[in-house]
Amino acid sequence: MADSGSITESFFKGSSGRNTRGLLRLTILSLIAAAAISSRLFSVIRFESIIHEFDPWFNFRATKYLVQHGFYDFWDWFDDRTWHPLGRVTGGTLYPGLMVTSGAIYHALRALTIPVDIRNICVLLAPGFSGLTAYATYLFTNEMSTSPSAGLLAAAFMGIAPGYISRSVAGSYDNEAIAIFLLVFTFFLWIKALKLGSAFWGALCALFYGYMVSAWGGYVFITNLIPLHVFVLVCMGRFSPRVYVSYCTWYALGTLASMQIPFVGFLPIRSSEHMSALGVFGLLQLVGFVEFVRAGVPSKQFATLLRGFVLVVFAIAFGGLVLLTVSGVIAPWTGRFYSLWDTGYAKIHIPIIASVSEHQPTAWPAFFFDLNMLIWLFPAGVYLCFQKLADEQVFVVVYAILASYFSGVMVRLMLTLTPIVCVSAALALSSLLDTYLTIKSPTEPTDSSADAVNGTTASSKKAEKAAKQDGLRSLSKPLVGIYTTFSKTSVVSALTAYLLIFVLHCTWVTSNAYSSPSVVLASRMPDGSQHIIDDYREAYQWLRQNTPENAKIMSWWDYGYQIGGMADRPTLVDNNTWNNTHIATVGKAMSSREEVSYPIMRQHEVDYVLVVFGGLLGYSGDDINKFLWMVRIAEGIWPDEVKERDFFTDRGEYRVDEGATETMKNSLMYKMSYYNYGALFPPGQAQDRVRGVRMPEKGPELNTVEEAFTSENWIIRIYKVKDLDNVGRDHASASSFAKGNKKKKTTKRRGPKVLRVE
Amino acid sequence: MHFLKGLVVSLLPFAALAAKKPAADKFQQFHTKALSSTPLKLDDTIYGQLTSAPRDYSVAVLLTALESRFGCQLCREFQPEWDLVSKSWTKGDKKGESRLIYGTLDFSEGKMTFQSLGLQTAPVLLLFRPTHGPHASADTAPLRYDFTSGAPPAEQIHGWIARHLPDGPHPEVHRPINWMRIIAVTTTLLGTVTFISVAWPYLLPIIQNRNLWAAISLISILLFTSGHMFNHIRKVPYVAGDGKGGVSYFAGGFSNQFGLETQIVAAMYGLLSFATISLALKVPRISDPKTQQVAVLIWGGVIFVMYSFLLSVFRIKNGGYPFWLPPFS
Amino acid sequence: MRWLLSFLLLGLLSVVQAVSSSGNKLLVVLEDLAEKSKYSKYIADLEGRGFSINYESPKSDKVALFELGERAYDHVLLLPTKAKGLGPALTPKLLLDFINAGGNILLTLSSSNPTPTSLVSLLLELDIHLPTDRNALVVDHFNYDTLSAAEKHDVVLVPRPDAIRPDVKNFFRGDGKGGDVIAFPRGVPQELGNTSPLLTPILRAPRTAYSYNPKDEGEAAEDPFGAGPQLSLITTMQARNSARFTVIGSAELLEDAWFDAKVKRSVGLGGVGTDAKSVKTANQAFAAEVTGWTFNEIGVLKVGKIEHYLNEAGVKSNITNPKIYRVKNDVTYEIEISEYSWDKWVPFTPQAGDVVQLEFSMLSPFHRLPLTPTTTTKNSTIYTTSFRLPDQHGIFNFKVNHKRPFLSNLEEKNTVTVRHFAHDEWPRSWVISGAWPWIAGIGATITGWVAFVALWLWSKPVPLKLTTSGKKIQ
Repeated sequence: MADSGSITESFFKGSSGRNTRGLLRLTILSLIAAAAISSRLFSVIRFESIIHEFDPWFNFRATKYLVQHGFYDFWDWFDDRTWHPLGRVTGGTLYPGLMVTSGAIYHALRALTIPVDIRNICVLLAPGFSGLTAYATYLFTNEMSTSPSAGLLAAAFMGIAPGYISRSVAGSYDNEAIAIFLLVFTFFLWIKALKLGSAFWGALCALFYGYMVSAWGGYVFITNLIPLHVFVLVCMGRFSPRVYVSYCTWYALGTLASMQIPFVGFLPIRSSEHMSALGVFGLLQLVGFVEFVRAGVPSKQFATLLRGFVLVVFAIAFGGLVLLTVSGVIAPWTGRFYSLWDTGYAKIHIPIIASVSEHQPTAWPAFFFDLNMLIWLFPAGVYLCFQKLADEQVFVVVYAILASYFSGVMVRLMLTLTPIVCVSAALALSSLLDTYLTIKSPTEPTDSSADAVNGTTASSKKAEKAAKQDGLRSLSKPLVGIYTTFSKTSVVSALTAYLLIFVLHCTWVTSNAYSSPSVVLASRMPDGSQHIIDDYREAYQWLRQNTPENAKIMSWWDYGYQIGGMADRPTLVDNNTWNNTHIATVGKAMSSREEVSYPIMRQHEVDYVLVVFGGLLGYSGDDINKFLWMVRIAEGIWPDEVKERDFFTDRGEYRVDEGATETMKNSLMYKMSYYNYGALFPPGQAQDRVRGVRMPEKGPELNTVEEAFTSENWIIRIYKVKDLDNVGRDHASASSFAKGNKKKKTTKRRGPKVLRVE
Repeated sequence: MHFLKGLVVSLLPFAALAAKKPAADKFQQFHTKALSSTPLKLDDTIYGQLTSAPRDYSVAVLLTALESRFGCQLCREFQPEWDLVSKSWTKGDKKGESRLIYGTLDFSEGKMTFQSLGLQTAPVLLLFRPTHGPHASADTAPLRYDFTSGAPPAEQIHGWIARHLPDGPHPEVHRPINWMRIIAVTTTLLGTVTFISVAWPYLLPIIQNRNLWAAISLISILLFTSGHMFNHIRKVPYVAGDGKGGVSYFAGGFSNQFGLETQIVAAMYGLLSFATISLALKVPRISDPKTQQVAVLIWGGVIFVMYSFLLSVFRIKNGGYPFWLPPFS
Repeated sequence: MRWLLSFLLLGLLSVVQAVSSSGNKLLVVLEDLAEKSKYSKYIADLEGRGFSINYESPKSDKVALFELGERAYDHVLLLPTKAKGLGPALTPKLLLDFINAGGNILLTLSSSNPTPTSLVSLLLELDIHLPTDRNALVVDHFNYDTLSAAEKHDVVLVPRPDAIRPDVKNFFRGDGKGGDVIAFPRGVPQELGNTSPLLTPILRAPRTAYSYNPKDEGEAAEDPFGAGPQLSLITTMQARNSARFTVIGSAELLEDAWFDAKVKRSVGLGGVGTDAKSVKTANQAFAAEVTGWTFNEIGVLKVGKIEHYLNEAGVKSNITNPKIYRVKNDVTYEIEISEYSWDKWVPFTPQAGDVVQLEFSMLSPFHRLPLTPTTTTKNSTIYTTSFRLPDQHGIFNFKVNHKRPFLSNLEEKNTVTVRHFAHDEWPRSWVISGAWPWIAGIGATITGWVAFVALWLWSKPVPLKLTTSGKKIQ
């Protein structure tokens, strides 16, 4: 170490200069992380530290269970408060990564004697991990390009890109919160392992792959992307011991690791999603063997023979796989995954999947909304990857194409697209900046053109030759550089402007679109002040305080997790839609006449029924708008009892007003939604503000259930299921008697007497 | 009273027998006919006696209008499936244990029936369940299959019939193997293989051409990121006319779009990224300062204008989007 | 409150009295107190059985079934009144509420003064139909009393009823020897709807009886309201909450006159009873039984403690009523049932041919097992059964649902969770013989790899060979 006096001047020396740059990078990265975290805190500042929409509530509940009962009880958790009366083997049907992570953090903080509420950990987990994601992106990008600026740019993009923020704002405590970090980091490790061809990095990659599997169902993306990458490499004739070592290490260890998750279990060897990985593994063994032999035996024909042998064996193996799949030994595609390829599939066969909003295809504005200018920098970056098509660049290309397809099919998969977009956009931008931010300009070719020519010929010749055999046409000429400062400044300033707009855009999108916990609705008063609509929590609190500990609540599955989490009451169905029949049962109960649905509710021991009704407030996400899905799902199981077209008028309209069909008017859902609704308005003035129609003069009547609770804005209505009549009448006549109109005395009987028999 | 019950019980079988006697051989004769040619070609009279109560068998009748002058597309689409169902069913149970007869009544032979049933549309598939005998059903009215979603496949019809005749055998639908198709597929396959093996030396450079691959991947990326899959899944219109006779290129609303719209957007993206590429790769390789200067200006301008246009388009889709660039504000 | 009152009563009468299993506050509604004398014996019986009786006239404003929303009485006895209506205190709705609140009602009709409309509509609610013409009565030309109704044939003599089904306990058999007759004078017949499962007739009319309206002239009544056993003379309705409601067609049946009257039966179908001699009616005993049943003195079941516990391999775990079991556990279920008869709780034994059953059900029963009586205490029987839980996890119910005519309803539901096998409850791999090849495979792989590495490390490289091979490779 130099003495204190010489520090300042040694500051600029080569080695310590590097340190300075390193320090600079570190600060920049930490600043990026800080920005990433802070831009995700809008929701906490606006509302409060609360868990967001639906699934997070289950994750939160599971985490609390884990923290209370410890890991083993969590592992064997049988949840008897959901899917009543079936219950759910929760420990074996969830991805524990998220809960375990936050549990570990919780206990670590406890060990450091920092008492933190588990809720706050859950709320802030996603932002925390977004910082890590930025760093992982930095590492990943550094593997891709030589220029150091690319990595930093990519990290910055990743930090604030709305496409990622949408699933990782504070409070959206979902698997994706940590999964995206794991995704990017696994890819980084994979590239590292591939470059070095080291088993060590391969093992690390497998380790993080295992973590990823434990965290998110989207791990299948990795499981297919890496084999695809390797397959492409092999097809490009780039097989090498590096590929062999890294892939085999990753596959062997990673598969073992993934099989430790109960929910995954033996899928890696039995389901089609994982077959590509297995097949490529086998292919590598073959190719490796062939290469080895060819190295030993140099005869030409023999090599061709071997190649043929490889092809044949591969074909046979592939055929075998297909055969096994058809014969059902290997499970065929799971519905969600299948619907990615055959896009019409879900709508026909699995209405449940089609009914989920985040499984809809993506329109272009969504792309632009989520990654503003990156979306057009993205192809440029991919093109740059073709410049020097090393193994890692091939990875980027493959990833880019695959991810953009998936994100086009499903909105939620925008998440997997975002990292690669950030990376390649950063590549493009950095190459631009590197070209236009260099102080020194090349010398004008006008003066002393000769030696310039001589100087360049050799290199240019080489370049020409290179371009001839392969390479991009844009690279055919030798690199010169930018001459005038004006062009540099103009381009750079323009880019800066774009970047500024990008930052503004991200902040705007985050604060406006992605920062509202759909549990609490915010609306603007006429005077522009914010008005909080808190009906959900009001209703759940009512349930928690006014119903017995194990009162079964029947509602549509969207609200299952929230009821379980906030009201702590058993539910019939919830957002983990594993049992289509059970959901269809609820759908049938909702969409049938009272006389039909009452026995169903009795059989399932339902105590309360909860419906969401937006008619008064104009809240469009209510059950009447979701009703058709209930009908469709029920129709899938009971095509003769529930028919979708009975809910449409002859002119094919879906109406709730006077012109609604009888089936519609008699359905339990309709009755419960509009029961007593007219009482709010002067007679005949009842208005449904969502459908924008006037309701019939006379509201529906309910016999088998009675209104128990209606929230302030009528968003949530809760009904109590009546018991059987004490003296053995049916509910209709019982309630009519209670209303005071006497039963008609049957003076004259038509037809023969009904004789009573014991 | 018990005595009464006893009486009734003792009487029932006689009644049943009385009802069965004629019906049984009625079924037999129709069934033998069906064995030779199913579905039976009906006309008003046969239809009458076939579906007349008392029946101890069930009848599935397709009322259709095959002749081209009626222009019933659905009828003609559905006919082969219908024949398939009836043939495989009748073949499946020669002894007639399921006691089901298939019939087809064309409008040309069955005007009276169509009128009496008051049918305005065709095809109509009616299932008459037995009125007597062991499998008798309470309501004598025939069940009607509604052709809501186009012509259903044979399996669907089979399922429907099987559902409503719970007891008795349900012979499965056997589709005849389509040899022609198999042969065609195999020949094309072999053809391609041979072609490839012959043309390999010429194909190889094309396959290994980096520009080609770059182009392919870029195009596909542009397609996907500009919402092509959305068009494919949602079957959106290519363009739509606005109210006043003109053509509106951009669909209103954040989450829907037109076919043309996406292509415009894709073109914009493509132009933008192409300009970026040229700025990054081509321009620094231009050896002449003047040309380079011009190129920089051109490409920079293109990016600027295009981006501002893109922003303005996005403002159409998403009102209240605050950001914009000149010249398009 | 009620206890206090009964203690008071005990102190008052200073003799041990039988008390109904559900309180002893009885309201008797009758036209005016003078009529009391007609029923003196019957009332004496009631008081003798320890009921504290209030007498009210429907017209009086003191009569109220509820006070401050609580039942004011445990039982109500409605004797026939002349009034068309019963006034605001006894509307059908109130009476129904009284039943829903667990009170018992004994309703007596009489053909001499027509049934009030409120009662008619109440009966209609319960699916009990009275003759359309107000003062129709039961007439039987074969089983009438020759002494009192030689002309009108409207005093029907009925033997004590048989059990409606062989497997149903019969509380109205008296000493069971039979042979004694019940005089049913000028009674109003009832017809029971076919739908309600809660209705059970105690006494049916004989086959030759029919309902006849003395008002309409013409000897033969065409299209009578009903005939034969379809006519019920005494009907009971036991609500789901075990509240009991009994209709006695003829109030006269309870009068002293008929308690100790002598009757002589007419010649019946096929000449039975040609040599009948006059006998004393069994009305008193029979009335006591009917009233006793209605006022929860007999046929009342009570569940004591319910226990279910793990019983793996015959070892009873000492944790009773756990919340959660595992699939395929061996479980034992115990339930203690006692029956009230007149003045004490006695062990309950079901009628021959009937059993108490346990259902272990989720959505639908997975097991339906007969419960066998194991131990009998002084006033209860303990029924028990042991079984293996099904191989299906979920939320199950131990359900005992014992509903029989004339016995109060038992519906006991105990919810338990049945969980799946925990990860460490499966047999270990080496226990499963099928796994041995794989275990051996693992061992072989490990040893082979270690051996290979050892060989690799300790084998001395031969430089010459290496270079040649290296040349080969380039």
